[in-house]
Amino acid sequence: MPDDANRNVPKSHRFRKQGFSFERLIRYFFASNAGLTIVILVLIIVFLLKEGLGFFPGYRRELETYRIAGLEFVDISRKNLTAHEQLVSLLNRAYYAEINGRSYQQLRRSEEAAALFNAYTDQTGPTKELILNSTQEGQEAQPAMLAVLRENYEKQRAKALANLPATPHLSAKEREEIISALRTRTPQATDDPALVTRLAEELASTQARHAEPLQAFRATIDSFESASADLGSAIMEMTESVTSTKEALQNADILEKDRRTLLAAANNVDDPAEREKLLAEAKAALAEKPDTETPMASLMERKPDCIRLHEELAKSSAAILPQLPKSLAQGEADRLLRTAKKAWPVFLSDLSAAPAKISSWTHTTPVPLSAAVVSFLTGRDWITGGEWQDFYGILPLATGSLMIALVALTIAIPVGIGSAIYVNQFASPREQAIVKPVIEFIQAIPSVVLGFIGILVFGTVLRELSVMDSLQWVPGFPIEERLNIFTAGCLLALMSIPTIFSLAEDALNNVPSAYAEASEALGASGIQTTFRVIIPAAFSGILAAVLLGLGRVIGETMVVLLVAGNRIKIPDFSAGFGVFFQPSHTLTGIIAQELGEVPLGSVHYRALFVVGILLFVVVLGINATAHRFVNRATK
Amino acid sequence: MFDPEKLIRKGRPKGHIKEVLIRSLLAGTTYLIVLIAVLLFTRIIVDGAPAILSPKFPFVDLEFLTAKNETLHVFDDAQGTRHQLAASAYSRYVAEHQGENLYNEQTFSYSGGGIAGPIVGTALLTIGSILLALFFGVSAAIYLAEYAKQSPFIHAVRLAILNLAGIPSIVFGLFGFSVFVLAVPVLTSDPSDRSLLVIPLMIGNYAISFQGWNSSLMAGCATLACMILPVIITASEESLRAVPQGFRDASLAMGGTRWQTIRKCVLPYSLPGILTSSLLAITRVAGETAPIMFTAAVAAKDDLPWEGLSNPFGILSSQVQALPYHIYTLAARIPSSEYTQRAQYGSVLVFLILVATLSIVSMVLRARIRRKLKW
Repeated sequence: MPDDANRNVPKSHRFRKQGFSFERLIRYFFASNAGLTIVILVLIIVFLLKEGLGFFPGYRRELETYRIAGLEFVDISRKNLTAHEQLVSLLNRAYYAEINGRSYQQLRRSEEAAALFNAYTDQTGPTKELILNSTQEGQEAQPAMLAVLRENYEKQRAKALANLPATPHLSAKEREEIISALRTRTPQATDDPALVTRLAEELASTQARHAEPLQAFRATIDSFESASADLGSAIMEMTESVTSTKEALQNADILEKDRRTLLAAANNVDDPAEREKLLAEAKAALAEKPDTETPMASLMERKPDCIRLHEELAKSSAAILPQLPKSLAQGEADRLLRTAKKAWPVFLSDLSAAPAKISSWTHTTPVPLSAAVVSFLTGRDWITGGEWQDFYGILPLATGSLMIALVALTIAIPVGIGSAIYVNQFASPREQAIVKPVIEFIQAIPSVVLGFIGILVFGTVLRELSVMDSLQWVPGFPIEERLNIFTAGCLLALMSIPTIFSLAEDALNNVPSAYAEASEALGASGIQTTFRVIIPAAFSGILAAVLLGLGRVIGETMVVLLVAGNRIKIPDFSAGFGVFFQPSHTLTGIIAQELGEVPLGSVHYRALFVVGILLFVVVLGINATAHRFVNRATK
Repeated sequence: MFDPEKLIRKGRPKGHIKEVLIRSLLAGTTYLIVLIAVLLFTRIIVDGAPAILSPKFPFVDLEFLTAKNETLHVFDDAQGTRHQLAASAYSRYVAEHQGENLYNEQTFSYSGGGIAGPIVGTALLTIGSILLALFFGVSAAIYLAEYAKQSPFIHAVRLAILNLAGIPSIVFGLFGFSVFVLAVPVLTSDPSDRSLLVIPLMIGNYAISFQGWNSSLMAGCATLACMILPVIITASEESLRAVPQGFRDASLAMGGTRWQTIRKCVLPYSLPGILTSSLLAITRVAGETAPIMFTAAVAAKDDLPWEGLSNPFGILSSQVQALPYHIYTLAARIPSSEYTQRAQYGSVLVFLILVATLSIVSMVLRARIRRKLKW
């Protein structure tokens, strides 16, 4: 369109308006609105940086306190103690898994019988209490009321008996026996039905019988467990002294900050008297530098002691390893035992490295700013609000986000692209008219609704499926947590399928029809045309669809917040496929969960903004790559 | 002899079975999605229907839709009858039956009464943010479609739109929190301590203080508006460009100014398209939780937004309940039991019906516009 300036109108012509005309004003108004998008984007970047960048100096100071107060020194020993505890718990779990695995039938039977009984007591419990209350001694019996109560009790009983859980491991006769016991059970009865008790006894005796051959194993575990007692008590003593030093340091920091605020205020006040007052206050707030040297010196005196304890623990742990059984009969127990054995050399080498670390540690090593950055990006712990020390390491969150994205895309890519190919290439117009609106409609489902479905429906269904005997061959089954990476991944797959579908379908649509015609003219079949001609031609568009789907999955908040299980821990990769059935936390979820609870301006608050910056950069990077592919496709 | 029959291949072509297999596999995945979608809706409808239907005329539980949200009290009276009462009804009951003992009392937060508060809050948030986004978005789109030429500015605008569209909603939440809740300027007589900058005005002791709007309807609307601005701009530009160039040329040829042309010959014809696509934006705004979590939404509120206000503008600076946030609270913050099911599934069903209606209407309208507008 020709601009005003280019028109061939004489300067003196009366149609030619000079300066700011109404038309110009309108034009500038619209232009400024278009510029608003740039302003918003700049504001987002500026404010994220403004709130986030203060994180690194603040975190550096926290890490410095951590070192000066000696917490870091204690953590060298504590890390080994925790590793020891984990090994003990692994062995214990292996032990009980072995016993329970051997008495699996009895265990399930007892559990199912108890479940029947519990379903009954849960339903009738409140009414039973009422009856017992009104027939207690000292209360006047009211026959009319009691009759109503009894009638209610019968109603509840009928309801309970109609909704009993399934019991695949009990024979029909046994089930009938329990049910008939429940049918005639009086409200006053206190002992469990006979069969429930008998099955529990049966289980206990079977477990005792299977524990017999494992006695040596038990003794080994116990002796291993008691090996760390001395180290544990030494750590306890050191902990007390270092936490008090840390508190003193933190208080001094707070006072110093107050003083700076007062000084700044004093500079802004014009009235000399007022200024004097503020300066005096500031002087009063001047904190005494807390004494860190004396407690540190006494901590350093413990160095030889700590080294000795470590060496002892290393010696006894090395002696334990050959005493462990070679293998266990039950799959789960054997897996746990093997995991423990695999972790053993690592544990031993950590133990033997500890003395060197302990003797070379000094509290005077400076903490550079880069240490805070490295600790944030590669830290394996995200611990906040604890009494010991806060750590902001995003690895557990990033692994959670990535693994959920992996599950989601593994499902969504084949399904989304497959259905795009089908709808675009093979479906009749009528099929298209059904499928397209449905998928568009899935896109319209709010994410919080999907999360709700995940919590109340999908998670429970998955859990029930996973305990079924016929599905035990699936790796990772039975799952322990209802809400886990897999559940979140499935729901996110459902969310990203529409994105991938519609973009991939567009890409297929954009392939010139001449390609298909040429291919068919050469005698290629429909499948050959689709897979050898159309898809390669649309490939970069499809890749862009996948990337945009990935961007959507990584950035999604509500579903993962509700469904991922929110456990801040790097998933245990030694569990094989079971790793996908562990709960986890995510980059987006942590912001949503914690931002509402942190004090404004605190290091934790700023850490959440840095996580936000990271998300922003990652998602924009993914989208930018995707748009590159789109542009290449349209060229 | 030459036999033409021999040239025609008989029977099934080579690889036919493979072809059929691949086709049915692809069809299978497609219908798997449809099946999952259908299962989801059936499940929600089946579980949610008892909450919002009633056996009497008008067959909808109006109380659930119009009552305020309250805590649910569940208890047995001395006769063993179980009562489920919302907090206000419960206190009335206790007042009427003084001296009687109640047994097995349990309380369930957010599960009693109805969902009037969340519905109203979501409506206000949606309307506010859509009005804002439509105003700025359509204006921006007019510039892009009618005035703009290739220039670095336009390039930057397009890049900004593209990037804004990709930002995760939780980052918009952070942005809204740090900008609208904590930093935008307000006119006030006593600036807060954490104000970023105070500019004293010489009128009274008023000052412009950059201290933000706190968590409020305003802040929520502004955040949501920023979030859907790119959607609205893209959709509006598309429908503006769909108006044939001839309309503009004719108007300009008759001596109309650029603004007259836009106002009389372009906007009226593109408006249906703009509004239809903004319906889709509404469904997105209504469903978002992350951006309003810190900027506007509150889990429990006794009054509807307009109750207990001294002036009508107070509604803008009050916090609101919102349906998606309410569902989040019901799903994540309280343990699920048979007494909370009505609130949980009921809210989800109502919400889903709202969203479904909006998106179906927009789909139908879009189809009609496509059929009707053939220039």
